Formats: sequence, C-alpha cells, structure tokens
Amino acid sequence: MVSLTINGKSVRAREGAYLLEAIRAAGFDVPTLCNHEALEPWGGCRLCLVDVTKAGWDGWKKMVVSCMFPVEEGLIVETHTPRVEETRRVVLDLLLARCPDAPLIQKMAAEHGIEQTSYERNPEPTDCILCGLCTRVCDHIGVSAISSVNRGSGREIAPPFNEAPPDCIGCLACAEICPTQCIPYKTSDYKRSIWGKDFEMLRCKTCGKAHITVMQAGYYAGKNGVPGSYFETCDACKRKVMAEQFAKLSSGARG
Amino acid sequence: MKMIYKVTVERCIACGKCELACAFAHGSEGKPSKTRINIFKRGPELGTPVVCFQCDDAACAAACPTQALVRNEETGAIEMDRDRCILCRLCVAACPFGNMLWDEAYHLVQKCDLCGGDPKCVPFCPTHALEYVPCEEAPKRPEPLAWESGAKEMRAGS
Repeated sequence: MVSLTINGKSVRAREGAYLLEAIRAAGFDVPTLCNHEALEPWGGCRLCLVDVTKAGWDGWKKMVVSCMFPVEEGLIVETHTPRVEETRRVVLDLLLARCPDAPLIQKMAAEHGIEQTSYERNPEPTDCILCGLCTRVCDHIGVSAISSVNRGSGREIAPPFNEAPPDCIGCLACAEICPTQCIPYKTSDYKRSIWGKDFEMLRCKTCGKAHITVMQAGYYAGKNGVPGSYFETCDACKRKVMAEQFAKLSSGARG
Repeated sequence: MKMIYKVTVERCIACGKCELACAFAHGSEGKPSKTRINIFKRGPELGTPVVCFQCDDAACAAACPTQALVRNEETGAIEMDRDRCILCRLCVAACPFGNMLWDEAYHLVQKCDLCGGDPKCVPFCPTHALEYVPCEEAPKRPEPLAWESGAKEMRAGS
C-alpha cells in the first residue's frame, strides 16, 4: 500500500493504482470523458488533470493526468486548484467549439461556467470529441475495425479507407460506449448496420428474436472456445425450456 | 458463502409477486426494470420460477470480454460491474438458461445478483417457494404446506 495526501486528506492506495482511482476512492471527483473501467487509461481528454507535489519539492507543482499517473509514496494531490480549474475550462471551451451541439459537452461546460464558447464555433459541427473510447473498446475486443485517421483539425474516427470495415463484427460496443452517442447504427431482429456495413442477425431458431450478429457469434465462439450452439436460442426461449424441464422433474417427484 | 437461494418448484402458485418485487426493486422512480425472475405457468395456479443459478463455471462470465461479471465471494452471486460493462450483450446470448436479460427500457443487461445478500423477491413469496436459507439446510426437503397436504389427501381420496 502507498500513502498519499489528496486535498488534505491522508489516504492509502493500492500499489500500482492510478491517481484517479485513489481520488475517487477518497470520495473526491474529477471530471473525465475518455476514462472507462474496462479499458486501459489513455489520457486523451485532459479533464482529469490534477496538481501534484511532494514535501521536498520546494512548493513546485506539476500538472498530471490523474488517470495515467501512478500513485507514489508521499504524493500531495490537489484536484481543484485555480490553475487546474482554468485548464479544465480551456479544454471544455475548446470541446464546446468543436462540438457545440453535443448535450454532454454543453452540460459539462455549463458546470464549469461556460455557456458559449469563446473560440470560433466549428463550421462543421460534430458530436465526436475524439475521446478514443470507440477505437479502444474495439481494440480491446480484439477486432480493431476502426481507428482515428488524419491529423490535427482533420482528425476523425473511421474504418480503413472509409469503406465498410471487413473486420467489424457488428457488436455495437463502439456505439454503446460513445459518451456523446454520435456513432449511428440501425438494428432489428433481421439486420444491423453500422459503419456502412450490413450484418445478418443471429435469430433464435424458435422465436426469431435476435441479440447478436452471426459474425459476432462466430467470433466469440472461436475466441472463447465455446460451442456455437450457445448462441442459437434466445434468452426467453431458453427460459421456457428450463421451466418445462423443471415442470417434468417436479411432476416426477410428486408422482 | 453461507446462504443459498432455494427454489421449491412444487410450492409455486404463479402469483407473480416475485416478478413484481424484482422489477420494482431494481427499477427507479416507479419505472419497473425487466424482472430477473420469471414465472412460467404449468397449470392452473401452478408455476415454475426461473432465475439465475449463479453457475460455478458460468458461461456469462466466460463470454464477457471485459470481466464485468465477477463472483461476490460473500453471497456466491455473480454480480455485474456496470462500470465495466460495454453492453455487447454477449452474456445474454451465452447464458445456456436464458437468465441474462436485455432490458430495453433501461438499456442495460439485468442479472440476478441476489440483491447483494438480501433477495427482495423472497419475503413476497406467499408459499415460501422462494427461500434464502443457510447452505446446510438447502438439501432438506421442505415440509409440505397445508394446502399441499390437503391436495394430496384429495388426490388420494379420489
């Protein structure tokens, strides 16, 4: 365990933990946009910035992204100093200029006292904040069908060559994880489409309902070594079969 | 794990109180969630409750790509860490018993977590078909309820 001070409070944290975890465990909150429990930290949104210092540093402080900074013995952390707050405001101001119509960004900016961006409004407004959650979750699943392309103001998230990505399995993890819900998709019991690619759904052989795509089932069955039959029947039909089994058992016992 | 969730199918009268208790215990602001326990009728006033078995070698946990399904050693239940869930719905498809449920209203996966060691459905069950008992009591055959013995007598008499 490592001892450190967060906003004047002495806390102990797990060795190898990142500051963000320790800060939240201590009951404080810092805003984040690109952090997700299931994914490796990335440090992309720069909102979780905090000031850190140590006793021997003569009052010198450095600003670090708490999601990627490992806890250290004797670290003194401040989460809401004026310069940290100001930096967060600049980040949100820039994000609001880029994504003026994204409700989440509007809300977070308003919480930091920004109603209107002080920069030039993006002439082609987008809701994508380039937090990288979609590409990282896709990598995590092991598919890597999308990535960020181009640089600077032209940077965007796209499949290779902006064509229907051959590797995509249609799991929707990217669309579901997107904090501003800006990845469009369509899904029904028959067909799903995302990133310009159409998928056939794996329909229940009894009732026809579908939760996942045929490609998704194939991918996961191969990866986890589970038989493909796991995915053939929908949850409601499986429950019905279970209930019938139980009914048989119980009538046998009562006999 | 000290306590176990016990279902006595013969006692279920399909009243649906457990389903209601579950839906409202896990919903918010009066909006029910998808119920994690489901009754299937198998005759007049006879039902079969189907609920998560908290399997030892659980397919849902094996299928989860983000290790969001973790066993709570205290209660023995497999619990879902919502912060880790990426809503891929693979567990819904993977559960061989259909006990992982996709809740469209709340847009998340519902799974029985034994309410963290205090299953809310149990006190609502009027016939004790659902019980939460110490593990050593689980294999005991439950005493027949009054109406059960009555029914048996009637059957024997006819």
